[in-house]
Amino acid sequence: MDVILNFIGSVLGMTGTYAVLFGGLGTYLLLPHRHGAIRPRAAHGAGLIAVALGLLIYMTYWRPPGLLLPAVFLYVFGATSVIGAVLTITSRDPVASALWFASVVLSTAGLFLLAEAPFLAAGTIIVYAGAVIVTFLFVIMLAQMEGKADYDRAARSPGWATLTSFIILWCLLASIATLKTGEKVGTGIHHLARNRLEPEKQLLRSRDLEAYIGSPDANMTGVVRRAVSPMSLVADARLAEGEAADNPEATSVLVHRPNVAGIAASMYTDHLASVAIAGALLFVALVGAVAITNPRMPVRPSSSDPAQRAAVGSVRP
Amino acid sequence: MESAYEPGFFVRNAWLIPFFPLLGALVTAVGARRLRGLAHLPVWAGIGLAFLVSLGTLASADHAAKYTVFEWLSAGNLEVPFQVRVDGLSTMMLSMVTFVSGLVAIFAAGYMHGDPSYPRFFALIGLFVASMTGLVLSNNYLLTYVFWEGVGACSYLLIGFWYARPSAAAAAMKAFLVNRVGDFGFAIAIFWLWSIAPGHDLSYDSIFAAAESGSIPTSAIAGISLLLFWGATAKSAQIPLYTWLPDAMEGPTPVSALIHAATMVTAGVYLLARSMPMVAMAPGVQAVIAATGCATALLAAAIALTQNDLKRVMAYSTVSQLGYMFMALGSGVGDVAQLAVVAAMFHLFTHAFFKALLFLASGSVMHAMGDVIDMRRFRGLRHRLPITYLTFAVGALALAAFPPLSGFFSKDEVLGAISGAIHASESYSWVYQIVYWTALVTAFMTAFYTGRAFFLTFHGPEKLPSPNDPEAPPVDAHAHGHADDAHGHHHEIGHESPPVMAIPLMILAGCTVLIGLICLVAWPITGGPAEWFAGHLEKTLGFEALGHGEHGFSWFTATLGTLLGVGGIALAYVMYAEPGPLPARMKERFGALYRASLGKFYVDEFYDATVVAIVRISASISDFVDTYVVDRLITGIALIPRAIGRARLALYQNGLIQFYAASSALCVAFLLLFLVLLGLQRP
Amino acid sequence: MPPTDIFTLEVLRDYLLIGAALFALGILGFLSRRNLIVMFLSAEMMLQGVALTLVGFGRYHGNWTGQILTIMILTVAACEASIALALIVILYNRRSSLDVTLWQEIREAGVPATPASLISEEAEPVDAAPGPESYPHLTPAGVEPAHPVEPWIERRS
Repeated sequence: MDVILNFIGSVLGMTGTYAVLFGGLGTYLLLPHRHGAIRPRAAHGAGLIAVALGLLIYMTYWRPPGLLLPAVFLYVFGATSVIGAVLTITSRDPVASALWFASVVLSTAGLFLLAEAPFLAAGTIIVYAGAVIVTFLFVIMLAQMEGKADYDRAARSPGWATLTSFIILWCLLASIATLKTGEKVGTGIHHLARNRLEPEKQLLRSRDLEAYIGSPDANMTGVVRRAVSPMSLVADARLAEGEAADNPEATSVLVHRPNVAGIAASMYTDHLASVAIAGALLFVALVGAVAITNPRMPVRPSSSDPAQRAAVGSVRP
Repeated sequence: MESAYEPGFFVRNAWLIPFFPLLGALVTAVGARRLRGLAHLPVWAGIGLAFLVSLGTLASADHAAKYTVFEWLSAGNLEVPFQVRVDGLSTMMLSMVTFVSGLVAIFAAGYMHGDPSYPRFFALIGLFVASMTGLVLSNNYLLTYVFWEGVGACSYLLIGFWYARPSAAAAAMKAFLVNRVGDFGFAIAIFWLWSIAPGHDLSYDSIFAAAESGSIPTSAIAGISLLLFWGATAKSAQIPLYTWLPDAMEGPTPVSALIHAATMVTAGVYLLARSMPMVAMAPGVQAVIAATGCATALLAAAIALTQNDLKRVMAYSTVSQLGYMFMALGSGVGDVAQLAVVAAMFHLFTHAFFKALLFLASGSVMHAMGDVIDMRRFRGLRHRLPITYLTFAVGALALAAFPPLSGFFSKDEVLGAISGAIHASESYSWVYQIVYWTALVTAFMTAFYTGRAFFLTFHGPEKLPSPNDPEAPPVDAHAHGHADDAHGHHHEIGHESPPVMAIPLMILAGCTVLIGLICLVAWPITGGPAEWFAGHLEKTLGFEALGHGEHGFSWFTATLGTLLGVGGIALAYVMYAEPGPLPARMKERFGALYRASLGKFYVDEFYDATVVAIVRISASISDFVDTYVVDRLITGIALIPRAIGRARLALYQNGLIQFYAASSALCVAFLLLFLVLLGLQRP
Repeated sequence: MPPTDIFTLEVLRDYLLIGAALFALGILGFLSRRNLIVMFLSAEMMLQGVALTLVGFGRYHGNWTGQILTIMILTVAACEASIALALIVILYNRRSSLDVTLWQEIREAGVPATPASLISEEAEPVDAAPGPESYPHLTPAGVEPAHPVEPWIERRS
């Protein structure tokens, strides 16, 4: 009994629980469904308010980087992506869904930029916003969706689905929030090595693991060694930091490694097999898509029937 | 001492002997469609190469010559390497097996010509030879057992080669099942050996060393020897498991020659000879072996007296001669042990040649007579089949132990070994006394039935089989008379066989004479007719420890044996050389005995009424229990989930992707929740 | 004092949280929406959440593996989108509808299909569009002009 009470106490003690509760309630109200006697407009309004409230509480967990501009952008992009996601799945009109999804993709790309992944940001925008979403819209137009279809206004068992997904969200939130912040992290490996912090107590950077498993040259090979050894800008900063012990003026040196060059170097050495497999996958998908959409007569069995043709012929451009 | 031994070239490559025929068999099997009428070539080449390697190993034979080809089985404390042993016994067997098999394969190319399953036949022959040579080469009981089973499986496939014929299928099944009974004994012997062998090492040298040093209790040695003998009785057709061998001639005649002469039946004799260092320590078991061999020899000879089927006579004579070999093996007591083994193996060696010769000659007769083998339906073939006649005569004389052919010397060795055992054995002397005299009587019967078969076939007025022959059985009970052209003999009857069949006959006849001549020539030089053979065989693992025994050529035994042999042939000549009233009168005089012999003493019928009937009854009981108790129980239990599924669970199988996805996601969610709550509680 | 990496564990946590939210909302969309296209958009959104997490971790650890995995995800997503859209076109051509619940042929024999009426019962009522329901009808006035006689029309009739 005490255990259960303990559980309930710790669950209710988390701010995130309320964020999830509000967010879940709001999303449930926003999902297209007949909400009993409540008018759709009222349900939507209440849902939007609840979602906004939930998001605000959720955002209290966010700890932006110290600098002002990245912090502002982080909040903006994060909020946009989450709101865009909610609207993607709740819009009645598939076209609107696709456009909201585009906003999710764009803000994700912004977050990529903040994480110093400009190549990936560009790639995401090009592939998703440029190709995928346009293709989606193309298909939507092909199918002449109008947002008035019954099935677009009736979500399937929204209660259960909301419960499921928000339980998962709560679990993810709980596990992420309980990550040890580790104030000492970031102060360099010398500190770690001195204090001998237990690695399982906090999320170590793999390059900091060096302090525990020895120098990269000692007994590591291949991918492990490259993963641990300095490769990106951060690691280079740490390299400089190593020199800082005897050269105090070198502390602020940050050597920027070109992003694309770094990715390419890693991709075509450590991950060559993955690249080959991905290429094969793309090729197979190409062949598959062509094979599937190849218009053959048996696709519509009753196409000889003129009435049927008249009925479904309108969908053909 | 043994570790200092450096394996020579042929010892290191002795594994090629089973490998070549196997390769030939594989090539034939894979290329069956391409090769068609040439399917015999890869097997010929395989057996021929194996023979050459065997000849090479003859010179390298040594007590300690063994070589590990690769690690075969390694499980826990059981280590079974694929190890070959190249000593006197195995090299002798290898040369004999590959030589005789090669000749049989050559003969078969003519005999089986035109058969639709020609490639299958040769593939099986290759496999058979590979199994037999592997059996002889292997250096531990487990590997021997593997090839032992391989030989059994190949014999099953070859006896049932014309599987469409019910009698052939039944004979194959019978051979296989009877052999299973024997294999059971062998298997138990191996289990027992494994449990008591030092280090669970099943190789021959370690077991014999352990037996010699006394670390294996005497009772265990006796039990294991008896079990090994049990296994050998099935393979080598001794009482009580001999009944499969006479039926085994349902297969093509070359297969009979192979089984009776070179490969199958020699396996049991070989196994006992190989285990002789151990078996010789159990005199009681030795007496049992000798007595069994003696009884088998007498019984089979008595049956062979009256059979009308030429091949059946030969089959029973094989059983009888195997009985001789077991008599000799069983006589290996005390200080004549080595002498006995040498006698047994020498008889095996000579018998392989003249029995292969006799079978192939019978096959030649059968070939010429359009698949008729009943001796009542043809006579006086000596002018039509001159080569067959002469070669058959050589074989028959050798079988009748006519001096100076090979059979005379080997049979004399056997008799000498038995008479040696009479003096050497302490408590079982009376057994060997009986065995000795029975063996002499059997020698007389052997000469008689051999002469009878010979004279009935080749002498007297000429007569060829015809459908309206009054002597022909109304409904051809014998499968050979079916003449169903299953193997495509479309030629005229009554002609001599083609050279591809005649040449192996001549070679085998030559060998039979040659071995006799070698004995004759070597006698004054080495001091005994078979000393050259014994000298080679002495280089066998464990044989040097066996008692050598003083062996003088016993003029008494030799003269008695010769007189009996000549007497038997003479009696046969009087009775059968020309058609006369004597056989019919004899038939009337000894009516009961004659019928019993003709009916093979009703042993098969006895087995049917006892063992087979019991098995059948228990099988029907099991069938009943299985159908009405076990099956009902299982189906009843299976009904419960089906009912539950129909009533409740099927509704959830509604075909909606989202329902499925939601179910699994919900489960994942609860699982995650559980884990997270667990993690929350810990700090 | 050595320089502090500004991408601390707290910043990583932001990325993880946003990624988790996208992932969970994607699950919700996939489970609840009936429209095939929206379902696939939701699946893509889940991938976006994962990509965000990977990039965050890659940045935190200071190596490229996260970004490369994200590139792989992009590849897979592109493949998935092309195949899925091709399938959607086929499915639409067969049933003239994008409703996923129409495709339940793989259900157990004897289980009834979900009736179409259930969907309209559950569907959200449509708000009436504001504006007039009917338009005024104008009567024609004036003299009807003479039709030019065209020979090919004559011939046809």
